Amino acid sequence: MKTFPEGAGASEEGGRHPALLRIRFHGRGGQGAKTAARIAGTAAFLEGWTAQDSPIYGAERRGAPVVAFCRLAGGPILERGLIAHPDLLVVADASLLADPAARVLDGTTTDTVLFVNSAAPPEVLRHEHGLSQHVTTLDLTSRSLARLGKGSALSAPLGAVAGRLAGLKRETVKEAVSRELRGLGLGDSIVTQNLDLALECFDSVEARGARVASSLRPAPQTLWTPSYDPPTRGTARVAARANAYLRKTGDWRIFRPDLDLDKCNGCTLCFVYCPEGAIKLTDKDRPIIDYDYCKGCGLCIEECPTHALTSLREEEKVKR
Amino acid sequence: MTQPLGTAEMMTGNVAAAWGARLADVDYVPAFPITPQTEIIETLADWCDRGDLDARFVTLDSEHSMMTAAGAAAATGVRVFSATSSQGLLYAFEVLYSVAGWRVPLVLVNVSRALAAPITLEADHNDVLAARDSGFLQIHAETCQEVLDSILLGYRIAEDSRVMLPLIVNLDGFYLSFTREPVTIPEPDQVRRFLPAYRPEHLGFKASAPQALGVAVLRGGEYSYFRHQMHLGALNALAVHQEAAAEYARLFGRRYGLVECYRLEDAEDVLVMSNSFATKGKAAVDAARAQGRRVGLLRLRVIRPWPTGAVVDALRGRRAVAVLDQNLAPGLGGILFQEVSASLYPAADRPRALCSFIGGLGGKNISEGEFETLFAETAKAGKLEKSIGPILLYTEEDHRHMEEAIRIANVPVKTDGN
Amino acid sequence: MWQRETYKKIKQLPREEYITPGTSLCAGCGGLEALRLAAKVLGEKVIFVNAAGCMTLLAVYPFTPLAGSWLYTTMGSAPAGAQGVRDALDILMKKGRLPRHEDLKVIVLGGDGSTYDMALSSTSAAIHRRLDFYYYCYDNEAYGNTGVQLSGATPFGASTSTSHATPSHPAAAISEKKDIFEIWRAHRPPYIATISPRHPLDLAEKFARAARYDGPKLFLALAACPTGWGYDPAVTPEVAKLAVETGMWPLKEAINGEVTHTYIPKRRPVEGYLRLQGRFRHLFEPTRQEDVLRHIQQTVDAYWERVGA
Repeated sequence: MKTFPEGAGASEEGGRHPALLRIRFHGRGGQGAKTAARIAGTAAFLEGWTAQDSPIYGAERRGAPVVAFCRLAGGPILERGLIAHPDLLVVADASLLADPAARVLDGTTTDTVLFVNSAAPPEVLRHEHGLSQHVTTLDLTSRSLARLGKGSALSAPLGAVAGRLAGLKRETVKEAVSRELRGLGLGDSIVTQNLDLALECFDSVEARGARVASSLRPAPQTLWTPSYDPPTRGTARVAARANAYLRKTGDWRIFRPDLDLDKCNGCTLCFVYCPEGAIKLTDKDRPIIDYDYCKGCGLCIEECPTHALTSLREEEKVKR
Repeated sequence: MTQPLGTAEMMTGNVAAAWGARLADVDYVPAFPITPQTEIIETLADWCDRGDLDARFVTLDSEHSMMTAAGAAAATGVRVFSATSSQGLLYAFEVLYSVAGWRVPLVLVNVSRALAAPITLEADHNDVLAARDSGFLQIHAETCQEVLDSILLGYRIAEDSRVMLPLIVNLDGFYLSFTREPVTIPEPDQVRRFLPAYRPEHLGFKASAPQALGVAVLRGGEYSYFRHQMHLGALNALAVHQEAAAEYARLFGRRYGLVECYRLEDAEDVLVMSNSFATKGKAAVDAARAQGRRVGLLRLRVIRPWPTGAVVDALRGRRAVAVLDQNLAPGLGGILFQEVSASLYPAADRPRALCSFIGGLGGKNISEGEFETLFAETAKAGKLEKSIGPILLYTEEDHRHMEEAIRIANVPVKTDGN
Repeated sequence: MWQRETYKKIKQLPREEYITPGTSLCAGCGGLEALRLAAKVLGEKVIFVNAAGCMTLLAVYPFTPLAGSWLYTTMGSAPAGAQGVRDALDILMKKGRLPRHEDLKVIVLGGDGSTYDMALSSTSAAIHRRLDFYYYCYDNEAYGNTGVQLSGATPFGASTSTSHATPSHPAAAISEKKDIFEIWRAHRPPYIATISPRHPLDLAEKFARAARYDGPKLFLALAACPTGWGYDPAVTPEVAKLAVETGMWPLKEAINGEVTHTYIPKRRPVEGYLRLQGRFRHLFEPTRQEDVLRHIQQTVDAYWERVGA
């Protein structure tokens, strides 16, 4: 197996097509996974690789799981859309590792290099989620909070880290971050702050070269031939009453509302204004926040007249 | 004055369609007028006002709205009927796919009319055939009687739990819609025995059993499954049609097949047509047979689901097949020619000469002479075992008129101000 | 002065949730905030007939957050779908095929994209036919679900992904927000109201009053949109309050065309409202666009002068 950058341009065994590096980004809506993929794509392009980047679009909402892809190669890229077997996996939010809907680890092997935005050291995550040994971590959120005062949009540091682990040069990654953020219409001050953050993370992340896995011969898939089902099953309908509570949205938040019961005067405004209906009331009108669903929007904190609710940084629930 | 029931009387294809809806005891008629179907909804509006039909008639603001109201009402649990044509069918297009995707059965009559541009009022089949992939089943009628009967058969098939898909009954504008011929009105209580009440198990909205229909499906696997279920439901309609047609024949004495074979017994060349001009095709077959030529006609009746087996059984082993499409897909040719050819390809004994003819566009008449030419060309192709076409049935005389019109339309206006 | 008769105190708001948590809408969605409060008054015997927009993603197979029923139709004809459902329910009850206690309130649920633009014809026709239904428009002033593009509801001077501030259009959107309240009112329906989640009792009262009328009952809900308007979700309360306090989002009601303003704001200058939002940043940075700011303020002032408040 060739380490991609040094072996750049050298064609793969059999010479069919030059080595190709596959990067898959996982994040939540609003965290910048798509833009991070573009930063890596632009950087690769600037260094002369053939590059391709794409997001999976759909109903991503601020907070819901999002996937984006970047491919770089010495020659034509004969691939589209889903990267089933990433060489490099960039995870913007550690909580995604435990989120079944996000399917972050699908198609990874012991060779896949994994970056996780997390305060926890790599061994803890490796143990917690049974990850391959090529795990590196960095707490992008805290670094972003320190520099920009905000920890939600992480496209610049994510793109920079991905560029580093894909063996791309610091200069081109810097240029790519600048181009992509300006492309979003961000002002000069925000772009420069993000650039500093990106370069800080580029320099800080442990450089562990992504390895180009040899392309494995796909095993033939067994096809399932559906037979006709009665329309009660075969129609796109939900015959259950309000079953969306089965889908937990609590992992979406970076901050949680924390309640100090002593300060609460039972005014019930938090209950009234919570868009999700994630706050119930006791018979004495005291709120109970359901953290399985709270998306961390902070409305209740703003509306609480006695400041009984304050904003608390979400600790990574390492021990679930 | 109430009509004597069970006896034949003179009526247009449009009125026959209205009778189909009435006899099916439809509950709801959301409507929007468009030539040449308007007479259908006018008739139904009168019957609803006078209580001859216990149904609610509502005029919507467009066919897009009409089709949405129709689908939503049927999804709620009432039997729905409506009618449209040409531009109206196209304006409702987005909704056709939704109603089929909701697996909501209803009958929509389309009175065929050519599509703009250029705008015209005359019949051809580009409108109804454009909807062939929408998920609606399609039955195309040759006679006014068949329009009425196909609507009753239509509800029986569409509402069968093995199908549960909406259905279009098509009739030609003018040539059927405004043409009167004898039509027998079946006995209402006989019809009620043929057509069970509409009680869809997967549909309905009520307080005690809330449900969400038409929900978003964001995963490809799920979307594939639901679309494939629609396909399987449509295929089931082949067998369901045969069952329904058999019982219809028992109750009312008129038998309908997926296709109609006319004098095919020893035919070496077969003309394939659909809708009302198939009548002219039969006359042309009779004339050719009188001259000793062994020809026959296959009339396509159920267009969706496509009756592959019936088409192949009727056409295998023939010397030549000529498909007369009253439609034209620019850059390809006749739509039904493609479907017939595709069905025949796997058959080892498929005819060697497949001939594509385009005729009757925009209501253009197809004269006996043009049929003569068609049979001659087809016979020649059969002998040479060479497929030909698409050939436009458009005579020298047609073109003389065309030249004259072009001349008039292009005479430069004298600019000296008089 | 407009008096609330039913909902006078905050604790009268029903405790039941008819929209469960677990929806996939953005954190801090102002539209969901208002819909949840409206649903409390409307109850669970409802069917939402939805037009394409952000809220179409409320019901994603195999989940629904609704205690009531749901039918997604199209972007342009949800009111026609409502006609079909309403007529069918009435027919089924009249023909004894559905008991009365199974009846449902039919509620069109659409964003400003369908309401102000694509569904204008089908809505006008439904009102004209005196359809007995509710129309709930969550107005986030852009085509939100597709990534915030210019719509008929986008205010003058707002930047969207299809109306950026450019040298040729420094003000960004140069079209004025359509006055859909007046377009609807021209049909003289029995009830129209504008609502805001920041005034929950005003909102609840209006749904209670609307229930007295047969025929069209039309609601325009302010849907402060963190994603589309460019601010942190926690700021939704302040943004939504200022929308009303600056007079840009008047709270009012019209009964058979007779207008009553249900809240008279102190009319704080619009600048404080605009400054909070990324979509108006170009009016302040890199240089202040005094003419655009003045135009927005004058438009609001002119409105309230006509109202005489």
